[in-house]
Order: sequence, then structure tokens, then C-alpha cells
Amino acid sequence: MPIHYPRALLRAHRLHPIEVWGPPHVERHEGSRHFQVYTCDIVVKAMSFLRSGGLDVARAILVPHTCDALQGMGSVLGDFLRPDQRVLTLYLPRGRRTSDHDFLRRELGRLSQTLVDLNGHHPSDRDWAEAFEAEDAADAALADLYRRRAKIAVSDRDFYAIVRSREYLTAEQFCEQAGALPEGDAPHLGVGLMISGIVAEPLELFDQIEAMGAYVAGDDLACGFRRVYSLSAENDPFERSANRLLTSPADPTCGTPIQVRVDTLQTRMRAMGARGLLIYDPKFCEPELFDVPLLRKHLNEAGFPVLHVEFEMGDTLPHQTLSRIEAFVETLS
Amino acid sequence: MTTSDALPHYVDSNRLEHFVNYEVVGKTALRVQRWRDQWKIARRQPRPNSPLNPPLRCVAHMKEIMSRHYLEGRYASGVRKVAWVTSGAPTEPLQALGYFLVYPENHAALCGVRRKAQSIAEEAEHAGWSRDICSYARTDIGSMISGQTPAGRLPRPDMLVCCTNICQTVLHWYRVLADYFGCPLVLIDTPFLYQEAHDHELAYVRRQIEDMICVAEEIAGKPLDHRRFEEVMTNAKRGAELWLDVLNRSQHRPAPMTAFDGFIHMGPIVDMRGEAVTVAYYERMIAELDERIARGIGAIKDERYRVLWDNLPIWFKIGEFSTWLAERGVNVLASTYTYAWGELAPMIDPDHPLDSMARVYLHPVLNRSAGHKLDAMKRMVDEFEIDGVILHSDRSCKPYSLGQIDQRDRLVKTLGVPALLLEADHNDPRDYSDEQGSTRLEAFVEMMEARA
Repeated sequence: MPIHYPRALLRAHRLHPIEVWGPPHVERHEGSRHFQVYTCDIVVKAMSFLRSGGLDVARAILVPHTCDALQGMGSVLGDFLRPDQRVLTLYLPRGRRTSDHDFLRRELGRLSQTLVDLNGHHPSDRDWAEAFEAEDAADAALADLYRRRAKIAVSDRDFYAIVRSREYLTAEQFCEQAGALPEGDAPHLGVGLMISGIVAEPLELFDQIEAMGAYVAGDDLACGFRRVYSLSAENDPFERSANRLLTSPADPTCGTPIQVRVDTLQTRMRAMGARGLLIYDPKFCEPELFDVPLLRKHLNEAGFPVLHVEFEMGDTLPHQTLSRIEAFVETLS
Repeated sequence: MTTSDALPHYVDSNRLEHFVNYEVVGKTALRVQRWRDQWKIARRQPRPNSPLNPPLRCVAHMKEIMSRHYLEGRYASGVRKVAWVTSGAPTEPLQALGYFLVYPENHAALCGVRRKAQSIAEEAEHAGWSRDICSYARTDIGSMISGQTPAGRLPRPDMLVCCTNICQTVLHWYRVLADYFGCPLVLIDTPFLYQEAHDHELAYVRRQIEDMICVAEEIAGKPLDHRRFEEVMTNAKRGAELWLDVLNRSQHRPAPMTAFDGFIHMGPIVDMRGEAVTVAYYERMIAELDERIARGIGAIKDERYRVLWDNLPIWFKIGEFSTWLAERGVNVLASTYTYAWGELAPMIDPDHPLDSMARVYLHPVLNRSAGHKLDAMKRMVDEFEIDGVILHSDRSCKPYSLGQIDQRDRLVKTLGVPALLLEADHNDPRDYSDEQGSTRLEAFVEMMEARA
């Protein structure tokens, strides 16, 4: 499950993570047997997907503690549904203090021990080194993609298709795909937007934004830029994983103070030439909903208009959503 | 004149106002009010048509204590350091340091009981906060923006303490408060317990409490007095034990109080745990409950069905539900929510304050798995001889509510107890439908009748 988790640690334990953000094409019905209507699509649809056998291929299900909804999911899975796969949990601290760091290091150690029990494989020093080398390379490739965005000659949709392929490809496959993107000026015409929120589904959104005469200058998405981690060179694998996770960009699910998030957004929007902020969230996402009024207030004061749109995960975009975005783009033009 | 030159005069005027309006006039007026309330209760004749027996006499004392607390809040700025804290925050060191504590959740509940929550929450909604966020948060943010409150005035915080052991919502909410007030926000992050607590989780919480004490000492400008701290811890333990005893009195038949009474009488243990007044209050309450038990007086006149309530109350419906259910012989006499402030009493150890605080504040029922909560409900069904369970599916409280669908199914299947999922919200009347609610409650009562 999204959002933050220790990739290299899983790899050292010979596990390959595949992220489940919904998925959008799944119906809520099966998940609704366990969760109330006011639960977000990511959780309810993931439950439907699991119940319909979509995760049968998985050896284990890892639920990082990201919000109350994912907490509920981890609990229901572990206590009541008890699927064939082992249900694993990971508590991610909400601060960036020394105490948070020390806790996370030990929490990762606990998870690692659970994986030893699950897989029967105790990673060697070589396993750890190989895992960090591969995952650091993929992290660097992702960061590089963002850095070079203006000089990559693909549409926003294709760009985000590659960014999001990190959710299921191996580190090597991702690096290969990212490296294969053609160099040249990005086909960016019209108004530059910054897009924030959890996940930009469906990818058709980017086509529609382009058709409206705008482009995505940068993002603050939980499935995107918020996972551009800094690299760490520590020898201890848990220390190194903790450093990685605790150096992610500003993120409300990690407890970043609102002012820090505002400052970060403002700086990046200026640097990237974004004229406005589109916050695009699945319904019932509390971590995001609390920030929206203050993001709007502070960014408006700084001269950046903000539009907040909530959506229900599906294969297509509702007309009303598109109309609102279109009107927003027009005001920025 | 510089600001620092002006400060002593400013502080003094606050102290004078505090002394006159709170210590002299306020306390006296509230004492007189309490005497009047006691006199009224003593003279009140039981209404023949009411399904309820007369209320507890001690309610007059509770009203005085809570009113005094809010009254002091009006005049606390500049006299005492003020901390706004979540209901599950480790407040004992703050009390020992002399902080005045404001519980925004309790304040929001007060707005709900007084039926002011919706209009105040709308202030927050007009400012952009979504109706999908917690109605407590909306109520308090609305109050913060507009200044509206039935409590008169809330003092501005010198620090905010947010403990995630009740939900992650409080973290997002308190980030908003920190942005608004521009004061330090201390986070006590409590890892959610899917199973038993691990050592590193306990160590993490303990360390954060230590860090909180350092910040609080700096703001207060004085070190923690360990003797006073021990005294507060002793009161906290005794208060929690007594509160648990209060709740367990409802194991008697007929139960001398309802869970709705419990929701109201929990004010002191939430807002003033660690204070001697809380201990004294619950001792008084137990004496009265024992008197009722000895005389065979129940909270309702004809207790036919005994019901457990799960989740927060629906504050704006407490009175109506209490009467409506009592008319049908239903006594909602226990709740998982009120239990949360008592069940951890055995863990409190004044001799090892920091270790025991870490353990206590990591273990509230809301910080534990859905399976653990189901086990707690099953235990209560047994101990309180429960005939049915109402699970309030609280739109505003996701950590409490997610898991209830499976919990209900298991209560029905494994214990054979009728269990109802009641859709509502703890503070927002717009999320409760009277018609649907009554229909579902009627059906629930019929199920208990059929089983009897």
C-alpha cells in the first residue's frame, strides 16, 4: 500500500514491491462490505481488489501507516479478513526529530526480522549492498527525471506514466525506461500548473490539461515528487533506510508543518514557472483536506491561485471536474 | 515605552481580573448556583410519565467544577501558561508545571451539547474547511476564526500538545492551530498497536514525553517540581480508578446510571485528571451510586434491555436518545468510549512516572487494533450482561469507526447479540437522519424483544 516504505529493505529480503493505489478500474462493492461510505477509494478499492483475487500473486501485504484509513485497513486485514498473504505493518513517524529517526531505525529492524521469519532468508552484507545500489540508482533516476523534465521530449501523460512505473517495475527496469526517454524540449505550451495531492488518476487527466492549453510544470503528488528521497551512505542498512524515508520532501502525511509546505511549494512554483496550483485529491483524504484552506490562503497571498478538486477513482474523468479545471486554466491564461 | 516596560502592568491587570472575576465573584457565583441546583434537584418530584428516574444529585457539583474550569480559562491568559492539548495527551507534567489546559475536543463537545456546533462549524466551512473533516475540528476551527463559543472565551495557547493516540486527525488539526496561533506544537507520536507494544515503541513515547517536559519547562520558565509531579500522577491514578469504579457500578441490575450520564460525567476525568477535585468528585459520585444500588433505584424506571454503546456519543442527541430508548425499556448503560479513561488506571505508576506514562498513553483503545476493540466489547457484553450493542458509525471519527462492520458481524455471529450500526456524526446534526435513525433503532429493539 502507499505511500512511503523501505524499498531496499524489501529487495534485500528478495521481495519485489508492487504498489496498490486503488486500483481505479475496480468497483467499490466488495470493499464496501468492510468499510463505510466515508472511506477513501484507495482503501476500499484495494480491499475489493484483494477480495477478487487481484493480489493472489503477492507473498505479503505491507500496510505502511499513512493515515487513519490505511490504519483501519491494516487492522481489518490482520484481525478479521486474514488473507492467505501475511499482513505486515510499518509505523512511519510523523516528525523529523532524532527520536523519530531512532524509532524508525528500530521499527525497520522489526520489519526486517518479520521478513526473515516470512521468507527464511537472512540478508547478507552483499544482499544489502546490492539492494541499496539498485534502489539508490532508481531513486537517483527518478530525481533526475524531475530535474531534466524541461529537456525530456515527452508529453506530461507519458512522463507520469514513467514516473508511476516505479510503482511496479524493478529498479533496473525503471532505470532503463527512465534513461530511454528522448531528449529535447518538453512539448509544453500554454499555462504552467503545479499539481498537488495524492494521486493523479486517471492519466487521461494530463491529456485533458494539455487540451485546455496548460501543462504540468511540476508536482507535489504523493505518488510523484514527494517520493524523491535523498540518498544516504550509512553502513547500517536500517539507518540508511530511515535516513531515506525521513528526507522525503514536504508531505502532510508525514506531519510537515503547513508553513514549510507552503514555502516549498512557493519556491518550486517560482522556479518552474507555474502560475497556479491544482490540488487533486481522492474524496475523504483528511491529511490533504486540512491543508487546503491554508495552502489557498498563503499561496493566494503570494500571488498563486489555487483550485481544489476532489475525485472518485474511475476510468474516466467526470465532466464537472474537467469544467472546473478548464475554468481555472482560463483564469490563469 | 518599550513592550517589556509595559508588560508588568499588563500582566498585573490580567492577575487582577483573574482574581476578581474568577477567584472572588466567579467561584462564589458558581457555588451559589450549585446550591440552587442541589435545592432544585432535592425538591424535584419524580414525573409520573417520565421513563427515567431523577438525575444524580452530584450533577450539580459536576456542573460547578466544569463551569469553574471554563471560567478560569477566560481569565487564564497572562496569569498561567496555557496549553491546548488533545484528549489523550500526557498532561500530568504540564499540570505539575502549573499550566492551564484547554481541551479543544471537550470544547467542541460542549458546543455540540448546547447545539451550537453546526453554526460554529459552518464558520470553518465558509473559510474552506471541508465537511468531510472531523466535526470537532471544524467546530474548534470555526470557533477560533469567529470567536464564537458557549464558554465565553478560550485563552490563547502558549503551546500546543498533540498526541496521536486517538487519531491522526489531531495532527492535521493541530498543524492548523499552530499556523494560526504561531506557537510551538509539541507532537507525541504514538505508534498504532496492531498487536502488543514493542520496547522501541515504549522508548519512543517516553523520549517524546521527556522532550515535551523540556519545552514546557522552557515556556513556563521554571523546572518541573518532582514532588508536585508525583502528586499529580497519584491523583491521576486515583481519579482513573474511581472513574472505572463509577462505570462498573452499571454492572448491577438495574444499572444506577446510563452511558449517556457517563458521557456527561466524564468531563472531569478528561479535562482535570491529575487534580484533587476530580478524585473528590468521583468519590462523591460513587457514594451516590452505591446509595442508589442499595435502594434498587435504576437510571431508568423499567430496565428490560441492557445495551452497550460503541464509539463517541452523538452529542446533540444525548437527551432525546436517553428518553426515547428508556421509553422502550432500553438502558444504554456502558460504552467503550467512556471506558477509555478508566481502563488503563492499573498501568499508572506514580513511582515510575515516565515509564508508566509511556505505557498508558500508548494503550488507549483507540490506538489499538479493531480486533482488540472487538475483544473489549465481547468482555463488556459478558460483564455487563448486555442484550444488544449499538455501534455508532461516526462519520467524523474514522479510526473508531473503520472496522465496525466486521465487529458487528462477529458480535452477531459469535455471541448471538443483536448489534446495530447507526450512521451519524458526533457533532454535526446534518449527518444524522431522525427518520432513518428511529426506524433502525425500532428494528433493533424488536430484535432484542424477539430474543428475550
